[in-house]
Amino acid sequence: MDWLFFGEISLAGLAMGGLYALIALGFVIIYKATRVINFAIGEIMMFAAYLFLAFAGGMEMSPWVAVPLAVLGGALLGGVIEKTMIRPMLGESPIAVVMVTIGIASILVGLVELIWTADPQLLPSFLPRQPVFIGELYLAPKIAYGFLIGMAVLVIYLLYFRFSRGGVALRATASDQAAAYSMGINVRRVFNLAWVFGSLAASVAGILVAATGGLSPQFGIIGLSVLVVVIVGGLDSILGALVAGVFIGWLETVAGAYLGGEYRMPATFAVLAVILVFKPYGLFGTHEIERV
Amino acid sequence: MRIGDAKQTYVADEAIWTTSTQKFWFSILLLGLLIFPLLANSYLLYLGCLVGIAVISTTGLNILTGFTGLISLGQAGFMGVGAYTVAWLSTNTGLPFPITLLLAGLMAAAVGFLVGLPSLRVKGLYLAIATLAASVFLHFIFAEWESVTGGMEGLSLEPAHLFGVTFRSDFAMYFLIVPLAVLAVLAARNLFRTRIGRAFIAIRDRDISAEILGIPLLRYKLMSFALSSFYAGVAGGLFAYFYRVVTPESFPLTMSIFYLAAVIVGGMGNLLGGILGAAFMTLVPEALKLLTAALTPFFPNAPVFMSPMLEIIFGALIVGFLIFEPHGLAEIWRRVRRFFHLWPFRS
Amino acid sequence: MFNQLMQKGRQLAGIGSLVTALGLAAPALAQDKEPIVFGGSIPLSGVFAFAGIHGHAGLTDYTDWINSQGGIDGRPVQYVMEDTAYEVDRSVAAFKKITGSYSPPVYYGDSTGFMKSIASELNSMNSMLMSGASFATALTDNEQYPYQFIPGPSYSQMFGIILEYIASEGEGGDMPTVAFVYSDTEFGKDPIENSKARAAELGIDVVEEIVTKPGSVDVSAEVLKLRRVRPDYVVFHGYVLSPINEFMVQMRQMGLDTKFMGTFWSSDKLIIDKMGKDADGYMGIMPYNYYDAEESGPMLDALRAQAEKSDPEAGYRPTAYIQAWFNAMVWTEVIQRTLDAGKELTGDNMAEALASIKDWDTGGIMGIPVTVKDMSFPVGRIWRVNAAEGRYEPVSDWIHLD
Repeated sequence: MDWLFFGEISLAGLAMGGLYALIALGFVIIYKATRVINFAIGEIMMFAAYLFLAFAGGMEMSPWVAVPLAVLGGALLGGVIEKTMIRPMLGESPIAVVMVTIGIASILVGLVELIWTADPQLLPSFLPRQPVFIGELYLAPKIAYGFLIGMAVLVIYLLYFRFSRGGVALRATASDQAAAYSMGINVRRVFNLAWVFGSLAASVAGILVAATGGLSPQFGIIGLSVLVVVIVGGLDSILGALVAGVFIGWLETVAGAYLGGEYRMPATFAVLAVILVFKPYGLFGTHEIERV
Repeated sequence: MRIGDAKQTYVADEAIWTTSTQKFWFSILLLGLLIFPLLANSYLLYLGCLVGIAVISTTGLNILTGFTGLISLGQAGFMGVGAYTVAWLSTNTGLPFPITLLLAGLMAAAVGFLVGLPSLRVKGLYLAIATLAASVFLHFIFAEWESVTGGMEGLSLEPAHLFGVTFRSDFAMYFLIVPLAVLAVLAARNLFRTRIGRAFIAIRDRDISAEILGIPLLRYKLMSFALSSFYAGVAGGLFAYFYRVVTPESFPLTMSIFYLAAVIVGGMGNLLGGILGAAFMTLVPEALKLLTAALTPFFPNAPVFMSPMLEIIFGALIVGFLIFEPHGLAEIWRRVRRFFHLWPFRS
Repeated sequence: MFNQLMQKGRQLAGIGSLVTALGLAAPALAQDKEPIVFGGSIPLSGVFAFAGIHGHAGLTDYTDWINSQGGIDGRPVQYVMEDTAYEVDRSVAAFKKITGSYSPPVYYGDSTGFMKSIASELNSMNSMLMSGASFATALTDNEQYPYQFIPGPSYSQMFGIILEYIASEGEGGDMPTVAFVYSDTEFGKDPIENSKARAAELGIDVVEEIVTKPGSVDVSAEVLKLRRVRPDYVVFHGYVLSPINEFMVQMRQMGLDTKFMGTFWSSDKLIIDKMGKDADGYMGIMPYNYYDAEESGPMLDALRAQAEKSDPEAGYRPTAYIQAWFNAMVWTEVIQRTLDAGKELTGDNMAEALASIKDWDTGGIMGIPVTVKDMSFPVGRIWRVNAAEGRYEPVSDWIHLD
């Protein structure tokens, strides 16, 4: 076995996993606060990436301006979706809400095709292009810098939720909605904020992923990989999102490299199936107790 | 004018036909279905066949999702199992279609049974994810098990045949598909007059309560999965006979979502809704195309907008119905009927 | 960015009246003879719209041109199409709709899936010849698809031509090595088995095979694999753009001097437009001359004149345009030959006429006379991107497989 090769592959996989972790974080924030499984997360990522393309490519803004603008646009989109389409579903069965997010995904795909056509696109390159070496291990520059940016955002998020007022409100709402409400927390606002922050994380990740993988209206497929991550990690666990994100990213890449690209999805979904059977609520998720 | 109907016995309550008016309209419907192919051109016949297949599959999914409350993202995968079973059997054994379709249904039911197993431990959304995983594995098997499925190339098959008669044209296929669709719906209608069907509904409404009432959850959930997959398998088998080619790309995830959408738009837990939803969702693209063609003289670039508009309409239908009309087209239909029943009084 | 779509609309509008194309208005030429109908399932929207729109333009322009030449055998030509959004079931619906109202002897199909799904119906109709956007190897099987042909080399034949080119670059015992990179789709896997066998015959070592999952994914692990084996050539198949760019950029960053090649649908201007100078040196196989090639010929000039006439502002016309034009050229030739022989336009007669095409001069569309083999036109040439000029330039002679 070629350990150097294994090391390089693993490194690439872990870096990709970092981005998965960031997307999963966005997913978990939304789920924790609002109990909504967001099947449209891949499409929100895609939308932000297209916004970046419009700002940086079409209007030729500097990436320093275009990235924040696109990310804000993605976050705003999340807020609007929550206000207009998720809020009316409050109290409906989770299945109905999930279907609404599936519908939203389809609407977003249509909008993107309407505005930017279905043609494949490349983002203007905005990351340094010199190869990165860690010891002897080569790492593609886009992946390396993408990983660093993703991690930075992740750390900011974790600090925010730990220490800021908004973060505390969000955690309070997640742990007991009624109690949070009676303590004077504006739960509706928290719901909206959760979607905004969740979409923001997804938007950052969306731009980073599209920068390496290219962009097309089929981009949302990545949402499936993220779904695996959050189920394996546990839907309501931030720690789970991080650990599972990195692990699934690694597994997918290693399976792709050693077995072939057609094994990427089956490999991660096999892990998913095992987790579902043995630990249905994920590695770190909270076990739900049902009462009649 | 008609005002409600008081039922005094359980038999009356369970009856399929409560009034002779119903029987009358149903006969008219059957007659219409019979006459339609004689009048329709090949395009309408083709659409009729598509709707028929969609009705069978949607009814199956309705049993699982609408009546038992188990959401499934694996419908396309189960249809694929049925389609491959038919393709393989008719190529390698030359069996006539009643047997291949039955086996297709049974094979899909067996797979559905397996997929349903996690429902012992997980439910709701986790179960949906489990069915998603199943559809990923099924797609993988379709693509990689080359000796049986023909790999990415897929399988081509001969037309359906029975007693020397082959079903080659759309006209012939119509008479294969539509009776089966009617049969499928009637069978489902009967199902919900039996203990099994009512157990499904009890599970949907509150599974823990149902268990306390003495309904073995696992057994009935698995039964629901198997039944629903049986429908999907038959629909997939008809799909195979209809297009006479089956490839892994014939059954994408979007197809599963399509059927879920049909159930929602039609009305969850309502058989009529399933039919309306299947027909509606199948015909929307064609209707939109007519609209585009009508607009083209005024907006020459209208065709370019069609596919994006279709995606948007598809999504907006799902979202809109869930928010504004959760009981779907069936509820609209009921209101319209009620209006005529009560006319000239207002409801 | 919204103007991209509007621009597409303009391209459509520029073709002339789409009304004619949709068959709503009377045929352009008011001749009393019954028109010959070209039918088409065309993806004007959806994932294949980037090619479908230009294919539509090509067919429309060809129809106008042939009518200005007096039609086929004195009969006018009418082009009737329906949008399919690149969905098989809608393609079939379009086919049924068109064949319900017209009886087109020839038809443009938009995908391999459609061509296969419609085959059994086509075979029992025996009244139509079909070709289109697909170069699938399977369609060269005359037993199963007797009335469907490929307007160029099949994907396997494209690989054959590419491999022949690669072999010709080898010196003596030092054959170049090659790696195949293809997508995990029917399209992507189409030529791979045949091509491995062909490479073995030529003595070319296929040192790596990489399958990529459809959709946007990071390919750096795959690039690392290629870095280990250091192939002299990487041949892409089953892509339009991504991930070709990522492979090329990353492998060059690693300092590899690998050369990159691709098949028909990955050899259009799109690669240059989107990748910019990163595209330099990329090689594609193309059975036709590019619109901006230096070659000329009576038909190629007619094509350019007609394109210029129908939309003076369009400028460069993509390969999909030329591909559609060539489809229509073959249809015309086949119909002409069938009628000349005094036969009816049945599937069998037209297939026979097609098979009889030998050393056919395409008037500059293809650079050399072409002979039909197994319902395909096994001709091609290798072109290389000159990023500074923004175009493909020929690097090989025309290659005719026998």
